[in-house]
Amino acid sequence: MTQSMRILIVDDEEPIREALGAWLIKDGYKVNTADSGQTALACIEEGFFDLYLVDIKMPGMGGIELLGRIKEIQPDANVIMITAHGSIQTAVEAMKRGACDYICKPFDPDELSLMTERVSANQALKNENLVLREQLMEQQETSFEGIVVASDALREVFNNLAEVAPSSAPVLITGETGVGKEMVARAIHMQSANAYGPFVAINCGAQSETLLESELFGHERGAFTGAVKARRGRLEMANNGTLFLDEIGEISPKMQVSLLRALEEKRFQRLGGSQEVTSSFRLICATHRNLPQLIKEDQFREDFYYRINVISIHIPPLRERLADVPVLADHFLVQFVQETGKRLEGWTQRAIGMLMAYHWPGNVRELRNVVERAVVLARGRMIGADELSFLQPNTDECHFGTMTLKEVEISHLKVALDATGWNISKAAEQLAIDRGTLARKIKRYKLVRT
Amino acid sequence: MNDLVSDQAISKTRALIDLIPLGRIDQLAVSIIAANLQAILGLNSDVSEPRQEPEYALLPQRRQFDALKIIKELSRETHGAPFKLGVTALDICTPILTFVYGESQLGGKIALISLNRLQGGPPELAYERAAKIGVHEVGHILGLEHCWEIRCLMHFSRNLEQLDSLPLQFCSACEFETTRRIKALDSK
Repeated sequence: MTQSMRILIVDDEEPIREALGAWLIKDGYKVNTADSGQTALACIEEGFFDLYLVDIKMPGMGGIELLGRIKEIQPDANVIMITAHGSIQTAVEAMKRGACDYICKPFDPDELSLMTERVSANQALKNENLVLREQLMEQQETSFEGIVVASDALREVFNNLAEVAPSSAPVLITGETGVGKEMVARAIHMQSANAYGPFVAINCGAQSETLLESELFGHERGAFTGAVKARRGRLEMANNGTLFLDEIGEISPKMQVSLLRALEEKRFQRLGGSQEVTSSFRLICATHRNLPQLIKEDQFREDFYYRINVISIHIPPLRERLADVPVLADHFLVQFVQETGKRLEGWTQRAIGMLMAYHWPGNVRELRNVVERAVVLARGRMIGADELSFLQPNTDECHFGTMTLKEVEISHLKVALDATGWNISKAAEQLAIDRGTLARKIKRYKLVRT
Repeated sequence: MNDLVSDQAISKTRALIDLIPLGRIDQLAVSIIAANLQAILGLNSDVSEPRQEPEYALLPQRRQFDALKIIKELSRETHGAPFKLGVTALDICTPILTFVYGESQLGGKIALISLNRLQGGPPELAYERAAKIGVHEVGHILGLEHCWEIRCLMHFSRNLEQLDSLPLQFCSACEFETTRRIKALDSK
């Protein structure tokens, strides 16, 4: 008796609908009724149900035909056919076509309750599975706690995240490729009010415009060549959850107009459809491109930009937060050691130095790949310079931007101190300076362990 | 102070539910149901004059009586207490169910129970079953749905064995809810 299970009863006889509905409502189910197949389809347009109780014999669209239509729209739908004693053969036929069970009317009270409880238990298992999968994902990498943060720059980003996540305002995440924009989006989702809803992600840059439109809005059967089945779009799938549009800077102005309308009205039509579909979700977009610049170049609509950019989060590139490098390297090392079963204890000081000296154009993604490769190559207990020989330190490009010499020194001191867990002797050794000199610099710059 | 006491006395004696025997029936069963409604729910009841068998609800092919039709007929009565509980010895059913021990309007005013399928075992057991079903159905008209708690009278019983295993009392949550709703009715 799952209180939240939604049931649609489809029967042309009013007394049957009334009696069945009244019975199920007492069991705590949310019940809707439809007097024909057409009415049922209209109800489904408003939202899917967890269970359909469908009479086989109805004038107009019969139960078997309706079963087929339901399965087209909602392939995993639970449908129980209601039949008279004379039409069991048809009920068996319905089972072959995807009905999960059939019941002969009139039926024993316990028969109906057992059947609905079974569907309810299956549904609960599916939901539990989904939640567990999400929790597992959360443990792995999506909670704020699961994300590795050592640098002040990223810590500030995450302090802001904790404040914005619970609201439902759209978020725009900017940052270079590979900095972990999707991971941050997932973290926001997990901390939001929609955390138990779906997190639906789509990379807008990886599809053609036509395909993207169909992916986002869904399509009806026959909407275009090859549309043999009706299909829900990502906007619809994200109902009560989060929709993550990655590489939003890549979509065409035409698509921006369609999306803007859907986002503002919170309803849209599937391709080839006439019925309006409603969907409520939290929108998170991400891009590595400079959208204000694209607006100036007339490649991005200003109104769409303001619609998606209510809260903006910028993730700095890894080269601007080198303090994160050793911590991330350790994090990925543990991950790959678990995966490969290799007995590795850590990094040599020289290896850490090489990782710190690298400019990481591919950001965290590149670091992850580097660690994976180093783990594969490693022979001993520690990963040393040999395993990182493929890393070419950046020599011809300054990655300190417009920082002053003092800022560069402070940043480099912090990196060394963080990398050694604020072991002054080790940090001094890594920096190739005297322990006392380092202590004096710490005092002078008022450096504190964070 | 005296006024308050007399108001409470009036409230306690006002019948909130009419028990309506339909056709020939064991009067003792009706009295036991009334006593349990008072003891468990604190609902005062009046036992009405017996009515005739509800022939309008007969389903000849099934040789049973349509509970929903009887409830609809009882709901036409405007006089008497705000709630009504029909009690019959006839075998009752609904268009979809082969039989029911009782039927009611969830959050409505009318309920109906049948003593027809409660026999088996010592005679006092049938009375206890009647009381359980009567209080359960009245729980529905007070707006309670079936309860998950297996030691609660609002738990759905599939058969007599399950009904017998239920205690003649609500779980704390359902008891709280019935008390709250009856208090709200009393204050009206």
